[in-house]
Amino acid sequence: MAKRPREVRYGKHNMDYVLLTVVLFLVCFGLLMIYSTSSYVASADYNDPAFYLKKQAVSTVLGFVALFFVSRIPYRVWQRFDYLALIVSAVLVLLLLTPLGVTRNGATRWIDLKIGLTLQPAEVAKLGIIVYLASVIERLEELGKNILRTPKGLAIILVPPTIIAGMIYLISDNLSSAIIVMGIAVAMLFVAVPDYKWFIIIGVVGIALVAAVVLYASGADATSSFRLARVKAWLEPEAYSTDRAFQTLQALYAIGSGGIWGKGLGMSMQKRGFLPEAQNDMIFSIICEELGLFGAMMIILLFVVLIWSCMVIANKTADRFGALLVVGVMAHYAIQVILNIAVVTNSIPNTGITLPFISYGGSSVLFLLSEIGIVLNVSKNCK
Amino acid sequence: MMVIILLAFAGLGVRLYVISRDNQDNYQKKILSQQRYDSKTLPFKRGTITDANGTILAASEKVYNVILDCRVMLSDEKSKEPTLAALSECFGLERSALNAYVEANPAAQYYVLKKRLTYEEIEPFLTRKAEQNEAAAKDKEKKTGTINGVWFEEEYIRRYPNNALACDVIGFTGTDNNGTYGLEEYYNDVLNGTNGREYGFLNDDVTLERTTVAAVDGNSLVTTIDANIQAMCEKYLKQFNDEHKDEAREGLGFYDAGVIVMNPNNGAVLAMASYPNFDLNNPRDISEYYSEEEIAQMQENETYFDTLNTLWRNFCISDTYEPGSTAKALTLAAGLESGRIVGNESYDCGGALDIADRHIQCNVRSGHGTLTVSQALEQSCNVAFMKMGEAIGAANMLKFNNIFNIGLRTNIDLAGEARTAALVFNENTLKETELATSSFGQGYNVTMIEMAAAFSSVINGGYYYEPHVVSKIVNSNGDTVKNIEPRVLKQTVSETTSAQMRRYLYMAVAEGTGKSARPAGYAIGGKTGTAEKVPRDHKHYVVSFIGFAPVDDPEIVIYCVINEPNVAAQDHAYYATGIVKNILTELLPYLHISRTEEMTITEQEEADNLLQNLVPPEPEAENPDAENPEGENPGEGTPGEGTPEPPEGENPDAAQQPGTTTGAPLNIVDPVTGELINVVTGEPAEPVHGVEPLPSEQGESNP
Repeated sequence: MAKRPREVRYGKHNMDYVLLTVVLFLVCFGLLMIYSTSSYVASADYNDPAFYLKKQAVSTVLGFVALFFVSRIPYRVWQRFDYLALIVSAVLVLLLLTPLGVTRNGATRWIDLKIGLTLQPAEVAKLGIIVYLASVIERLEELGKNILRTPKGLAIILVPPTIIAGMIYLISDNLSSAIIVMGIAVAMLFVAVPDYKWFIIIGVVGIALVAAVVLYASGADATSSFRLARVKAWLEPEAYSTDRAFQTLQALYAIGSGGIWGKGLGMSMQKRGFLPEAQNDMIFSIICEELGLFGAMMIILLFVVLIWSCMVIANKTADRFGALLVVGVMAHYAIQVILNIAVVTNSIPNTGITLPFISYGGSSVLFLLSEIGIVLNVSKNCK
Repeated sequence: MMVIILLAFAGLGVRLYVISRDNQDNYQKKILSQQRYDSKTLPFKRGTITDANGTILAASEKVYNVILDCRVMLSDEKSKEPTLAALSECFGLERSALNAYVEANPAAQYYVLKKRLTYEEIEPFLTRKAEQNEAAAKDKEKKTGTINGVWFEEEYIRRYPNNALACDVIGFTGTDNNGTYGLEEYYNDVLNGTNGREYGFLNDDVTLERTTVAAVDGNSLVTTIDANIQAMCEKYLKQFNDEHKDEAREGLGFYDAGVIVMNPNNGAVLAMASYPNFDLNNPRDISEYYSEEEIAQMQENETYFDTLNTLWRNFCISDTYEPGSTAKALTLAAGLESGRIVGNESYDCGGALDIADRHIQCNVRSGHGTLTVSQALEQSCNVAFMKMGEAIGAANMLKFNNIFNIGLRTNIDLAGEARTAALVFNENTLKETELATSSFGQGYNVTMIEMAAAFSSVINGGYYYEPHVVSKIVNSNGDTVKNIEPRVLKQTVSETTSAQMRRYLYMAVAEGTGKSARPAGYAIGGKTGTAEKVPRDHKHYVVSFIGFAPVDDPEIVIYCVINEPNVAAQDHAYYATGIVKNILTELLPYLHISRTEEMTITEQEEADNLLQNLVPPEPEAENPDAENPEGENPGEGTPGEGTPEPPEGENPDAAQQPGTTTGAPLNIVDPVTGELINVVTGEPAEPVHGVEPLPSEQGESNP
């Protein structure tokens, strides 16, 4: 590796400030929306309208500290931790089975750090997978151009993410995080091996599978399984308006009632106890209600700019590892944003996915910002 | 890669647009419809109705509906167990039924578990809730559940502690605060207040703020009714009914009967009783008078509500009838006042008189012979009065009818007073024959209250007071809002005429037809009436007696009317005078009016019997008093008798109003009190009662 000529000039290049600005804006906007959506519920439950805002602000500050440090760490350092990242991710997920696991709303998804904070291992795992895959893909590519296309190469790339995703799904009952982990892996593989034929086949098979499941679910008895019932509720939300589809339907009401320009910031009615977890997974519907279609489109546009910047950085990056890191992060954001909005608009069945930078969630914002730190560091070292 | 992402975003953007385009109005409505506007009505309390002594006749009581909010209760799973346990134990609810309901309706927010509980009934639950929630707050591990999701909806219901007492006067009110009949209807707006409201709203900082607009409670009525006197009147009406039930025909002792006791010196109605009566707490219950089959039949042919309305009507003000001979008092007063009769006239009665083409008989077919004016009234001689009528003339007769307000409403403050304008004569209808019959009270209709008010003016010095039932309106704090002062509307006759009338009427009782109305030991005045009803087949009569006591200084006017007593021969005023005598025997001592007349041994015994029956068995200390009348010395320093001066007007009498007399009592009072306790449902009823503390004073002051 050392023989390879390096034209990279560490720290000689400016960071991508467009990306940083967009992220700053999204995070601040997120805090504003968290206050707007949660103040009613917070004052009712905790007698403090800023309860959620304060917690999120702490996480955000931590996140920016992390961003600052990570953006100073030369990204190539991460390559040394590739297997370690995988192992740490796996261990953290396994820790959920120990008494350290914290159960909320019936799902064990957090581990208690014993310093007053909790951590979601799934978030660590996402970053771990990005680092692992970026490193492994680069190494395999260095060994030979076509190694990636051999079954063995595919196995090296896909099996660890599959195991991690399976663990997340089985242990923490968190399908959405598992999907994201797998999505990141597939996206990175896609970039590394731009072999469209394969992906079209996979895509077609996937769509066929989904269609089969939908067909089966629509005819099946919804009481038999939890996930099946979710699919049913997705297909006919009005029929399950009081239980399974309650949240979805309330989100749709919020989106629909906002109109083009919305009811005005802070004027949402749905956040007043009707839309469960309004500050969390469903925050986008409150944005639609308060700021209207226009506001929602602006937010989508910001995410597009964010992802576009990532792509530009990835393209400009001289070495493969950096580019793949950025691609992984980009895939993470893109998948999460798309799935979140798709859930909120009832385009796919309801599964708990947060909106990056905006939704309430400490671990999430901490790791999202850390990832931005990596991307920024990569951007410093562009061509 | 980027293409896929951009496509996905574009797709979601379109999706957002479609949702918003297709459903905006629909979803906006949905959102508005599921908003719970956090505001509740705070009900006002309808005013109380009390009698002159403060006895509560009608009052609104706050009651509570128990509401279970399943969603709130289940918001913390730990709350379910303690909440349901407390509910089933405190309110005697079936635990399994509760569980089943909660299982089936976990989102139900308004489930009425119990209705109209008193505070005492919900208190155990409140205590338990406080204890449990305190324990839960102390529990550091948060294992203890709270009692949550149960709240109490407030409501007022109307209660009538004396049940049927004065039912026609009071009227009744449902939960809608809308009075029906009587005072409840007439003073509906006064009694009602304004509902308050508690608003919850979100202010600019999206915190919940509450604003309370307090309810304004309704005003209360203090009436001139004396529950004790009312009870006496009702008791003797009922007694008559019981004695004569099913006697000559199937049914009650009469079709209707009413008694009015008034203070002639201010128009205050002290009692207004009628029978059949009904329980105000349960006004639709007519099972006392009708069998189930009869009720079912009534419901079938739709006479049920007519029957109820008839029962609820106040006979004393709503029903009209021909007054009969009691009107002779008015005729004579009109004659004296107009100067057409001087008092030294004499009349020959041959048993009948031919007026125009009619042969009108006297009440004694054989004739009364020659009668003075006084004797004519004593004997109630129709012939003599027809002659008087002729002397008075049609014009004067009509004028005095008008002066006595006959044919006009008295405007008593009760709902449902009948109009009699079309039921009396006018200059076109008052021909020779009509003049003759109207002189002895036949041919035109009156209401009881009309007669009582007119008669009061004849004997009180000529002052026509507007009869009234409410003396004072007070607000919920007890401050007086309005004093209803006695209203003199006019002078009907002069004081001289009035004094003369008192003498004549005294004689009518002392020597004439009204003898049987006189309570032993008292000098009273009055006139009987036996009016033949249409058709005039000598079978159907309205018998009545109108009188006043004491003679020299009238404090009360009493009027009793019985519509067709259930007896073989109805044409005896005895049926009315008997009731009056019983009432007066009890009433006059209650009003601290001393006996002025000698009593025969028989009378003494009779009075003793009547009064002794009233003594409640428990209070032994009272018996000496009740037995005492043996050695009774009726008139220690009674100012009356020797100097029967006409009263000077209302002023000196005002101090003697029965409602205000709480001074040294006579020995009769506490039997009456005991009587009231029987009438009032249960003893705890009224601590405010004015008469109750008396017995202790009595033993020392009286014997």
